[in-house]
Amino acid sequence: MVGQGEEGMSELFQWLEAIHDRGEYVRDQLSHATPVFALSRPEGILLVGVGLGQSKVFEIYDRHAIAALGNPVDIEKIRQTAIEAAHLEGFNRSPQDVTLRRLMSYSLSPALKNSFESVFQPPLIVEGVFAEVGETPQDDVLMEFSHDGNFGVVHDGLAVVSSNTAAATQAKDWLRTRLKPHSNRNRVLGLLLAMWQAMTNEERIGNSIKCANLETVDLGGRVLEMALLDRKTPNKVKYQALAGNA
Amino acid sequence: MDGDFLSLLPEHPLSRVLTSDSQALAGHQIEATTVLAFHYRQGVLMAGDHRATADNLIFSDRVDKILPLDSDSLMAIAGSPAVALEMARTLETSFEFYRRSQLQTMSLQAKTRALSQLLKENIPMVMQGIGTVVPIFAGVDYSLPKPAPTIHFYDPLGAQFETTSFASSGSGAGNVKSILAFQERWGSPAPHKMDLKQATTFALRLLTTAAQFDSATGGVDPRLNRYASVYSLRPGEVRQVTDEEQAQWWGKEKKA
Repeated sequence: MVGQGEEGMSELFQWLEAIHDRGEYVRDQLSHATPVFALSRPEGILLVGVGLGQSKVFEIYDRHAIAALGNPVDIEKIRQTAIEAAHLEGFNRSPQDVTLRRLMSYSLSPALKNSFESVFQPPLIVEGVFAEVGETPQDDVLMEFSHDGNFGVVHDGLAVVSSNTAAATQAKDWLRTRLKPHSNRNRVLGLLLAMWQAMTNEERIGNSIKCANLETVDLGGRVLEMALLDRKTPNKVKYQALAGNA
Repeated sequence: MDGDFLSLLPEHPLSRVLTSDSQALAGHQIEATTVLAFHYRQGVLMAGDHRATADNLIFSDRVDKILPLDSDSLMAIAGSPAVALEMARTLETSFEFYRRSQLQTMSLQAKTRALSQLLKENIPMVMQGIGTVVPIFAGVDYSLPKPAPTIHFYDPLGAQFETTSFASSGSGAGNVKSILAFQERWGSPAPHKMDLKQATTFALRLLTTAAQFDSATGGVDPRLNRYASVYSLRPGEVRQVTDEEQAQWWGKEKKA
């Protein structure tokens, strides 16, 4: 009996060690990725990323979109999982029954957690934010998710997702003091891109950082990907790719 | 991950595919109606009355028979509503699923074939005489040098034909097609030269005439504030002509 117990403990320890190593591996892989943003605004939810074109910001369903970072293949897997789950639910019940809470709780989070804990399969290297636009900004839902299946609701209408969580927290604080509901789109975009540059270049986030000039901002050869979940449109499809999105 | 929504359905127990089992209790059958589509100056206009009947019974005057499938396609339904509405819902989901998952819109040829496939799968219902659907489809052809909407009509077995100027389906279609052919050949203006207001008024007149000779077609009755389902299709834009617009344009026509 004692021998079996020791064997069990040993297997558990090996599993925990494997999970720990796996977490480190995923975080190391994600450290090369650049941040993505989602922001609840009076006109809708703005999603912003900088990538290769159709690589960071995507439409999921009528009222839903995702901004993600990580391995392109893994972003694609999560995107396809979300699109399939949303369309099946919308077809079997109705588009109103497709909610972000259910998508995240019953489809995406379990898929991410299973992938992360299946130690003999490659993990999904992806993190990001899902958005669901409502009638008013108070009805909007933003959910950040991580590679291990954990997710959390963003309560202040601003999501900054990065592998560097400390930098993401600082960026949120910096943005919160500068973003106003009446700020125009260029101002909002300038502020988000200023943070994108600072986080990508690992600069110290503080008062020395200024709003980026959209005409001259250096995106390192990548392209701006931006979309609006437009709450004002009468169309059932709220997603609208904005200029700059490839 | 090929963007085929229909291939997902059998894997999920809640899902309902268009099979004879799921539609066996379709209930009242409607094969009597009038829907039509023709080219006007800016695109395609599609219209249909609101009446639904079963034999000699009128059980609704509020049915929408023109259904937008996405921002580039419209479908007019004539036939069994249980099957037709499910086909429209299936197509709508399939087109959006493909667009979102593949990051490109489905080609017009693929869309018309998708509807054709659904009609072929429905042949057992047609053979039983309780599920016939004879739709009209309009979609934008982006393969043309200048993208433009085209009109397609089908037989109940799924054969698909593209028409050059107009199509009509339902029990009132014979009258409507005669007038459309006449107007296209000798009318002034010909339908393809009409603007949206003229085309809408012309469509309302067609439905009114169809209703005069076909009891299953509801027609238009401004006294009862009863108008039609009217939609226009242009590249990237499906626009509903509202009852208020129809009332305004029909009223002006009467005064003139």
